[in-house]
Amino acid sequence: MSPVVLSLIVGAAATLVSLPGAVAVAWIIERSKAPGRGLLQVVVMLPLVLPPVVTGYLLLWLFSPRGWLGWTGVAFHTLGAVVAAAVVGFPLFVMNISLAMKAVDPRLETVARTLGCSRWQAFRRVTLPLAWPGILSGAVLAFARGLGEFGATIVLAGRIPGETETIPLAIYGLLDRVNRDHSLEWLVGASIAIAVACVFVSRAFDLRHRRRLGL
Amino acid sequence: MKLAVEAHLGRLEATIDVDCHSLGVVGPSGAGKSTLLDVIAGIEPGRVVLDGRDLTGVAIDERRIGLVPQESHLFPHLSVRENLAFAASDIDFIASALQVTTLLDRPPRILSGGEKRRVALGRALASEPSLLLLDEPFAGLDALRRREAMALLADVRRRFNVPMVVVSHVPEEIIGLTDQAIRLDGGRVVASGASPSVLRAGETEIDCHFEGEVVAPGRVRVGSTELAVSVAATGRVRLGCYARDVILATEMPRGLSARNCVWTGIESVTAAGDAVLIALNEPPVKALVTREAATALELGAGKRVVAIIKATSIAYLGTA
Repeated sequence: MSPVVLSLIVGAAATLVSLPGAVAVAWIIERSKAPGRGLLQVVVMLPLVLPPVVTGYLLLWLFSPRGWLGWTGVAFHTLGAVVAAAVVGFPLFVMNISLAMKAVDPRLETVARTLGCSRWQAFRRVTLPLAWPGILSGAVLAFARGLGEFGATIVLAGRIPGETETIPLAIYGLLDRVNRDHSLEWLVGASIAIAVACVFVSRAFDLRHRRRLGL
Repeated sequence: MKLAVEAHLGRLEATIDVDCHSLGVVGPSGAGKSTLLDVIAGIEPGRVVLDGRDLTGVAIDERRIGLVPQESHLFPHLSVRENLAFAASDIDFIASALQVTTLLDRPPRILSGGEKRRVALGRALASEPSLLLLDEPFAGLDALRRREAMALLADVRRRFNVPMVVVSHVPEEIIGLTDQAIRLDGGRVVASGASPSVLRAGETEIDCHFEGEVVAPGRVRVGSTELAVSVAATGRVRLGCYARDVILATEMPRGLSARNCVWTGIESVTAAGDAVLIALNEPPVKALVTREAATALELGAGKRVVAIIKATSIAYLGTA
């Protein structure tokens, strides 16, 4: 599988896998009064500030054959690349969803409650649809971040061509080689094109989010 | 309804125990009026007993108490129809009662302030609440729109027969809608009793709403009397008249420019702050007079008097 296709698959899978969790965490941080949500916020934001290689090391420790999650067989597998991209992209995803939820007046949810909705129903019928374009905007950014994941991926998943060698890993591999077929330039170009497209798509979702809220 | 509330929340230190059809809550901005509504709705903690049912600790969605917030808070991603149908399936009756039938397919963002409020009221009514909380339902409306909205609300109260708690910083707005009222100031109940009694001097714009049938251009039959009213509509109409604009006399005056001088009986006499509010049988309006005038004319329940109302003092508030 070419690095570009593999990257797109890994990025999409990482985004889809983290979507429910990111929405849940953002809701807890933004809307619930649960104790310990400050701590949760810190833990979730860690991958953003930790060196990705350290994140990768911690993941490897967790997913190594003797680690707690070793039985999953994720390490040095395409799934490993997905996990690495998901974990590293998670803080950005949660931050964007938090912003999208913050823009939704909490009073709307309260009014829905007075109309007979449980907390979950009020969230599903009011906050979620109103925040949805904002959530998609965040998803696209998380996807783009996942595509660029390098440090954690190379530690957890290695650089196995066709299996875990995403665009950044492929570019890294080509750097010290005499490049005759312009595959390096091609990968760099593809990378830039995807990133630019993601920013535009994210922006479009963001505009829709604001329109929906009547901003 | 029988409503008991005990709220100790921030500056709000209020204990309320009333038995009435509708309760008015008046007081200046920041007196804690909206917080009191939040307590009753279950959004904020406090002891609430409604008609013998202890709602303390009952979740918001299980209280069946409708809230019409000040900023309407319509769901922006739903059309007017979907907003009304949020907690109900059949909304035709409500849409027509609140005169929003022509707005059903519009998004909330293009509605006027008054239209938004009507939709928010309809949305709450559709959930068939056992109590309706209205937070400043007339704020931001100009004088005529406000009187129209008050007449509509009076009509809604009659048709749906749902008790209300109406909050306002302008007491005159709620006198016509409620029978009991409390005055909040600085988070405390400083006065309570029959609605007019919590009035203060100067707060005398008590609006009386009644209906009539246009029988001829400029003539409206109200019960057994006929009034001169400047109205262009036909059929049944809603009318409004401020209590301070009604003059009482003990004999029929002559040579008067006022077009309406009708013999009527006094139904009740209520103290309204430093004045007296006199309810008349027909037309069903109230007259606000000073205590001195009430004493001098010996005004009391059952007495026959002449009600004098200028035709221009009766406002047309829409078709009924």
